[in-house]
Amino acid sequence: MSAALRVFAAEGLKQHRRIFGSKLVVFSMLLWPVLTLATTYYTVLPVTSAPGAAQRWPLVAEPGRLLAFLAAGALAYTFFFSLVQSAWHFSFERVSGTLEAMFLTPASRMALVLANGSSALVQNAWLFGCFGIAAALATGSLHLAHPGMLAVAALALLVPAVAWGAFLNSLLMFSRDSAFLYTLLDDPLWFVAGVRLPLFALPVWVKAIGLAFPLTTSLTVLRGALLDGRDTGELAGHLAFLAGLSAVLLGLTAVLLRVGERHAQRTGSLQLF
Amino acid sequence: MATAMPTLRRNWLVTMRAYQWTYFVGTLATGILTVGLAYLAYHSIGGGRAGGGFAAAAGTADYLGYVTVGAAASMFTVRMVLWVAKAQITEQREGTLESQVLAPARRLPYLVGVGLQSLTTTVVEVVVMLAFAVMIGVRLPAPDPVTLLAAFVAASVAVFGISVPLSAIMITAGEAHITQNTLFVAMGLLCGFTFPPAYLPDPLRWLGEALPVTSALRALRAATLDHAPLSAAAPDLLLCLALGLAYLIVGLRLLGPAERVAIQRGGSA
Repeated sequence: MSAALRVFAAEGLKQHRRIFGSKLVVFSMLLWPVLTLATTYYTVLPVTSAPGAAQRWPLVAEPGRLLAFLAAGALAYTFFFSLVQSAWHFSFERVSGTLEAMFLTPASRMALVLANGSSALVQNAWLFGCFGIAAALATGSLHLAHPGMLAVAALALLVPAVAWGAFLNSLLMFSRDSAFLYTLLDDPLWFVAGVRLPLFALPVWVKAIGLAFPLTTSLTVLRGALLDGRDTGELAGHLAFLAGLSAVLLGLTAVLLRVGERHAQRTGSLQLF
Repeated sequence: MATAMPTLRRNWLVTMRAYQWTYFVGTLATGILTVGLAYLAYHSIGGGRAGGGFAAAAGTADYLGYVTVGAAASMFTVRMVLWVAKAQITEQREGTLESQVLAPARRLPYLVGVGLQSLTTTVVEVVVMLAFAVMIGVRLPAPDPVTLLAAFVAASVAVFGISVPLSAIMITAGEAHITQNTLFVAMGLLCGFTFPPAYLPDPLRWLGEALPVTSALRALRAATLDHAPLSAAAPDLLLCLALGLAYLIVGLRLLGPAERVAIQRGGSA
């Protein structure tokens, strides 16, 4: 356990030195999501202000609530996508030659991928997280059943995000074309997860694919808890599904790490890129 | 020609051997999902209609056609910028920027070669995306071929033009990821790919006008959605060409000093 904690501390320090204090994070973690949010809002505006749109989706009657709905999507997407980015950065260890060194150490592989994901999440997402909370408070769009739901929402966002990050890290660590996965998980991720549209607007098969991504359910919980005043009882089904999905992702991570390392030992591919 | 054609050939070889699916899928996914989002929103939320003064602001009532042309232009822009603006920083990363400086080849034909290669691949991607759009029921009313061709040429000059100063910025900063994505999200908001820029506050609208892509989009839409004759699209075409060439000239002037900074700094980007 203490060995795993040391891995967490070391990864945290590495991410802190690499990311924190870098002005670049302001771009990727605040400017891009805010500009993308504005673009999305304007793109759906002609449709949400179409005659009769409010009967199909009551939310659009109030532009403030529509914006809050999209902003919650942007917030959750930023969290999950920051893990795609962190996993992508992790694959750079291959290029800089440190990936092999990492596998020579006796550090727990699982601790490595978990530590990388969670510390990247903290370093990357705090900015947009604070921005989101400030914006929600300033506009008065928060609608909570009770203050405890804030914690539930935070956990429903963070726990699956870390599991998702660990899974991606293990996937990208052994892939030589990490750019492909990065591309594949950028746009399709927001599309299937209902980041920019309510889930009812998506066809059934897209919704089915979306369920495999923890972001989809995380977002349902986040919107339900923060914007619609739902309590844990009403969200219990989603929360249970989310817990199950996180466990499955962690299980897959363990398998991938074992299979990937064995394959790398046989082929010596950890230095190739 | 002695520089452009071999560069074109080399980049095709690189694409075919190393990244044939990565770029293709990436560009295509962005286009198809943008149209897909508009399609789903239009039908399940808008009930097949667009409101909010869209027709007046966009100059057409055809929301899906508007977004489809914008998505195609966006794929084209992103792809061209990714290749042309990143050409030199890629040379730097691969360690060949010095050789490039030593070779008696000029920059413009080199970048034109890179641009032509990305043009040829993007045409394939855009055609596949448009086929998808037609398949889900988007109709682009009979485009005016002359205006369309003129708009396509003007858009190519515009995108090529903004890529060159961007290349100078990238090799000077030794950084591409933040520069390119900041440009992409800013253009997504300012240039009117998926919504009419008239929705934006005035200062942002003017900022968008400073980018030649905005006028290129107007010309492309006039050709594809309005069946506009060349004379009707001429002001936008000229504005787009003038801005594109201005960016190109400034960019070419900046490249020399940028290369000096990049080489003096040394190391990999």
